[in-house]
Amino acid sequence: MAETTIEISVTELYAVEYITPKLVTEAVDLGIVIPIEGASAKDWVFDTNSAHWLKKAARLYLDLEIDWVAVCMVIDLLKQKEQLLRENAQLRAQLQRFI
Amino acid sequence: MEFKDYYAILGVREDADLKEIKKAYRKLALTFHPDMNADEGAEEKFKEVAEAYEVLKNAERRAEYDELRRYGGTKGFEPPPDWQQGKGFDGNARGPSGQDFSDFFNSIFGGGFNQARHSASDEAFSFKGQDAEIEVPIFLEDTLAQHSRNIEFSIPTYEGGQIRHIKRTLKVKIPMGVMDGERIRLKGQAGPGHGQGPNGDLYLHIRLVPHPLFDVQGHNLLLTLPVSPWEAALGAKITIPTLSGKINLTISPNSQTGQKLRIKGKGLKTKTVTGDLLVILKVVMPQTNSEEAKTLWQRMADSSQFNPRTEWSN
Repeated sequence: MAETTIEISVTELYAVEYITPKLVTEAVDLGIVIPIEGASAKDWVFDTNSAHWLKKAARLYLDLEIDWVAVCMVIDLLKQKEQLLRENAQLRAQLQRFI
Repeated sequence: MEFKDYYAILGVREDADLKEIKKAYRKLALTFHPDMNADEGAEEKFKEVAEAYEVLKNAERRAEYDELRRYGGTKGFEPPPDWQQGKGFDGNARGPSGQDFSDFFNSIFGGGFNQARHSASDEAFSFKGQDAEIEVPIFLEDTLAQHSRNIEFSIPTYEGGQIRHIKRTLKVKIPMGVMDGERIRLKGQAGPGHGQGPNGDLYLHIRLVPHPLFDVQGHNLLLTLPVSPWEAALGAKITIPTLSGKINLTISPNSQTGQKLRIKGKGLKTKTVTGDLLVILKVVMPQTNSEEAKTLWQRMADSSQFNPRTEWSN
């Protein structure tokens, strides 16, 4: 039976080839992700969805050569898009039951 | 191996300056970056574009490439026998976020990452294997308690310099109360580590399967309950389904379409939160085909002062 978790430590995140301490600090400072545990940067723990957004932010920053403010805006819009798509699907399903 | 025309890939002229190259790259990268475009083939296209940019943005690398281009390769390209791999190369033979480059790139610039060229104990070339993510559909009923299930997926692996996809099956415990969009991490179950690096992690992206009766709103469940006009008018006791069995519900007299009735604790459950079941009434009109039914409706129409459009009269 494979072990499952919904957390990842900052040290484990650094093992991802393109994730550096500077990238993680930038993403936390801009509010792209919020650690769920850890008073200092070396002790940070993130939930797995935050790890997903953090990796996405790092890839956009590195691949598109855009600054962190732009990355923050893109991530914010992508999160909103995902949320709106989900809500839209839910509302459509509810509407169908009323027609 | 096929010669790659990096100028054509970026859509720039041979004499394009760095500014034009960067502009072309950004435009294509915004279109094809896999984090912005989930279409099939977008990721491969982005890798190709990133590889072309990696070469053309660097003056030394571009000069080497131009030299080879003049040497004349199209199909069946092989570097010249006296070609010195890696001239002007800074050692980063992968894309900024770890993309693997093509054999064509590696043959010219002396590397890229190729396991065949490095021993397993070579620490300089050790890094974590690729993480992977797969969507896992879960039925609402299955979120009420921890359950185990088999997950099938395939991971890319390098064998003799070639990428192969290996199918794997894992038995995993899905915790109670997983929500739509949540990600569950399986440490070390994805791409094999390079050198001494650890294996990548597998992420299970939870997708709740649409239910024939219930909709999900946060931790709450919504149930649309069809009722007859007389049930709505006079009140009724109706047996309704929940995720964990049937219960009896009392409908008050004078109920309306869209009215919500909350049943505490019959929604989705996590370790810390228990949602509610929200029953939404939907008054359904019967077909009025019989003379008797028509007579009854006519008697109501004659005796009632009810105007459903009072809001329009102002």
